Amino acid sequence: MPKIASGLRGKPENVTLGLTGFRPLSWLAVILLAGLLQAFPAGANPVQTPHVQAHLVSEVVAVRPGQPFWVALRLNMRDGWHTYWRNPGDSGLATTIDWTLPEGFTASEIHWPYPERIPVGPLMNFGYHGEVWLLVQIQSSATLTEAESLTLQAHAQWLVCEEDCIPEEGVLRLTLPVGVESAPLDPRWSEGFAATRRALPQPNPWPASFHVTADALTLELNAGPSAGNIVDLTFFPAEDGDIDHAAPQTVQRDGSTVRLTAARGAGSALPEPLTGVFVLQERLDDGEPAVHAFTLAASLAEPATPLAYPVLAESLLLALLGGVLLNLMPCVFPVLSLKALGLARHAHESPGVVRAHGLAYTAGVLVCFALVAGALIALRAAGEQIGWGFQLQSPMFVALLAYFMFALALSLSGVFEIGGRLMGVGGHWADRPGYSGSFATGALAVVVATPCTAPFMGAALGFALTQPWSISLTVFLALGLGLALPYLLLSFSPALLRFLPRPGPWLERGKQLLAFPLYATAAWLVWVLSQQAGPDGVAAALAGMILIAFAIWLAQTVRAAGRGWRLTGRVGAAVALVLALGLTRLPNTDLEPAHAAASPSSAVAWEPFSPARLAELQAAGRPVFVNFTAAWCITCLVNERVALSSARVAMELANREIVALKADWTHRDPVITTALAAFGRGGVPLYLLYSPQAAEPVILPQILTEALVLQNLQTL
Amino acid sequence: MSKATTMPRAIVALTGVATLTLALYGGLAQAAPTVGQPAPDFTVTDSNGVSQQLSAQRGSTVILEWTNHDCPFVRKHYDTDNMQALQNDAKAQDIVWWSVISSAPGKQGYVSPAEANALTASRNAAPAAVLLDTDGKVGRLYGARTTPHMYIIDPEGTLVYMGGIDDNPSANPADVKTAKNYVRVALAAMENGQAVEPASTRPYGCSVKY
Repeated sequence: MPKIASGLRGKPENVTLGLTGFRPLSWLAVILLAGLLQAFPAGANPVQTPHVQAHLVSEVVAVRPGQPFWVALRLNMRDGWHTYWRNPGDSGLATTIDWTLPEGFTASEIHWPYPERIPVGPLMNFGYHGEVWLLVQIQSSATLTEAESLTLQAHAQWLVCEEDCIPEEGVLRLTLPVGVESAPLDPRWSEGFAATRRALPQPNPWPASFHVTADALTLELNAGPSAGNIVDLTFFPAEDGDIDHAAPQTVQRDGSTVRLTAARGAGSALPEPLTGVFVLQERLDDGEPAVHAFTLAASLAEPATPLAYPVLAESLLLALLGGVLLNLMPCVFPVLSLKALGLARHAHESPGVVRAHGLAYTAGVLVCFALVAGALIALRAAGEQIGWGFQLQSPMFVALLAYFMFALALSLSGVFEIGGRLMGVGGHWADRPGYSGSFATGALAVVVATPCTAPFMGAALGFALTQPWSISLTVFLALGLGLALPYLLLSFSPALLRFLPRPGPWLERGKQLLAFPLYATAAWLVWVLSQQAGPDGVAAALAGMILIAFAIWLAQTVRAAGRGWRLTGRVGAAVALVLALGLTRLPNTDLEPAHAAASPSSAVAWEPFSPARLAELQAAGRPVFVNFTAAWCITCLVNERVALSSARVAMELANREIVALKADWTHRDPVITTALAAFGRGGVPLYLLYSPQAAEPVILPQILTEALVLQNLQTL
Repeated sequence: MSKATTMPRAIVALTGVATLTLALYGGLAQAAPTVGQPAPDFTVTDSNGVSQQLSAQRGSTVILEWTNHDCPFVRKHYDTDNMQALQNDAKAQDIVWWSVISSAPGKQGYVSPAEANALTASRNAAPAAVLLDTDGKVGRLYGARTTPHMYIIDPEGTLVYMGGIDDNPSANPADVKTAKNYVRVALAAMENGQAVEPASTRPYGCSVKY
């Protein structure tokens, strides 16, 4: 931790006494000297003691009647020696100042710059090395005449320690003239005052809370988007016994929340609020490190439940159920239908083969889920404000997915066969004998599933994202298992398999038919792009799709041609593919978040969501409906189409004067991510209905119907 | 969020290191005993070469005084005869007073057995024994962090007080007279069969020179 006002540090020039330990005579001399100084008005300034040069300095050159001004007790310590902060830590003593002031003057408490941690063997002290300025504000009397000069007398006592400790003191006197004019600042000290002010703790800008376990205290700061910049955090408690001063403090970041954990101190009861100072090191956008200190007053939070097993078990169950239901969502359904066709082909083969396919498919789902969850967890740990479906917030990813769906659809339509070494996710996975095809289908199911949210998923994933990575991953894998479960069960149950129709020409027709949902998916993704990257993005994606179609056609055409043509054709196809990929480098435009995302025909007058607007409306006693949505969230779009944009809902909203706010998460938006997190959610949709009578909103289900929405609105 | 790429490593490394140190950390406060709980037992050799065991004193009140004769805060209480008076009062009440020196060899306050006895004689001190905790084991066991740092254990072996000697954290000998002596307060409460209040205070003084 950088020292206070490090640029100011200077060696006291006239420290010549070589005392390294306590000597009774010098101590007596100090006391005697202090007594003398108090007895005689001629106090010294600065005062030189064996280990410290103390200096009382004023920021102004003259005192204005009735005006406050700042003075500082400036302590220059011998190299390696330190003095103490207001909570000195395990041992030591805070510096004190007793003032003798002119009639009508008052002095403030000491304003302490933030301290540093000073280890002494197994103990820990909080204090200062080198040089420190302790600021005090003096309020002057209003009845001063210009002829006067004033003397401020400070009896300062400090304990100065290296490893051994020496109590020292000095009586410092500072005489200032009275000036009626605006008093100029003393240029000798202005830099020192400025540097010290930068080291004074400022009011904490973030919500803070703490909770305790038997042996640890955890401090939680909700630093919002700033959390990503925080690289280190140190807590200095105001009171003894709150934490074990010497214990290392661990800092963890989880999205916008920064947690500091320290071993508990010997104090049996913790104060509420917990007070002190925290010092954080920040890395600014330009890479420059910066240090800030803030005063803390944290309230006691409900005990954290990082490992509450009932909650964990419930979340795992919800995730599993959500995964199963995800199979019925429009995103995954086409892919699963394809898989079902494949199953129908294998169904009447040996049960062992069918089972192996089921397992390969499950493995594909789980591996892909682990990858997506891993990326999500890692990025959140890095401070990114993201949640479920985060990859769809990237136009590049959306464009690539559109290409992929389009190519897949072309393959199903019979335009080409993805085979040979390009196998895996190809059109023939459904009838490939290899298990890699089944594995790839599993992975594909996950990729296409992300735009959808099934019931139960929101709560499970919201829980997962607040947990340590191992638990997050477990919940994600439970969701994956749920997704794979129906097919897995089917492949393990010969009885069920008998219900599947025998393979025949209908299989080929069915496959061709299923190309159309995939074309539709591609078209929808292009529409998402229109929200994210504007008309240019749409043009780029469509051009890319044409290039892909061209590449496929070219590669197919030259298959039977001579060697030269075949090479030329393949190079041409490759070039077209590269160009298509190059077109996905779309600028993530600064388009206004698409307020039209819901539906152009919406009769509801949506206002953009912001926490400030919500607070304002609540303060005004207005009921509020908040719709957390995204253009790429199919579940959200369906809800908006089916329930939220109906004329009856719009009328109900208008009649009851409910303000409708829309939080559009199509683009990455830390504010919305934080708002979602406040409700334990890591993704959209989320629907909140705030009644003026209740502090907490009603949370509506993730799958809406018109009747359900109306029924809720009517409860207001 | 352009710094995302550089941040994770820093944080992961930081958290890792911190967790590791926390895991390896055998802290003082974690070992610190709790008032109202049995005081941790120990055996340590005194300045006369006698092995002293806390549990052997069951039936008597025991006072532990962490000390370092060169510490200004300790001197404050010895130069004013405050500590000696307490020790003599304790002796009169059949209370076992053990002065504990946890200074490591070479550190301030470390003394040989002979020097310890000479100090006791020269200061007219009256401890039942001076325990030479040279390796700091007892000090760490009790979470002793300052000199002086006081502990009172009742005849049942329960820790009933730990903390400062009085309520005026200063090095000024003149303050002894006006300060409220927590050890006297505790002994008076025990004498009257009352609960010790305050039972835990902030100790003040020099750090123990482990």
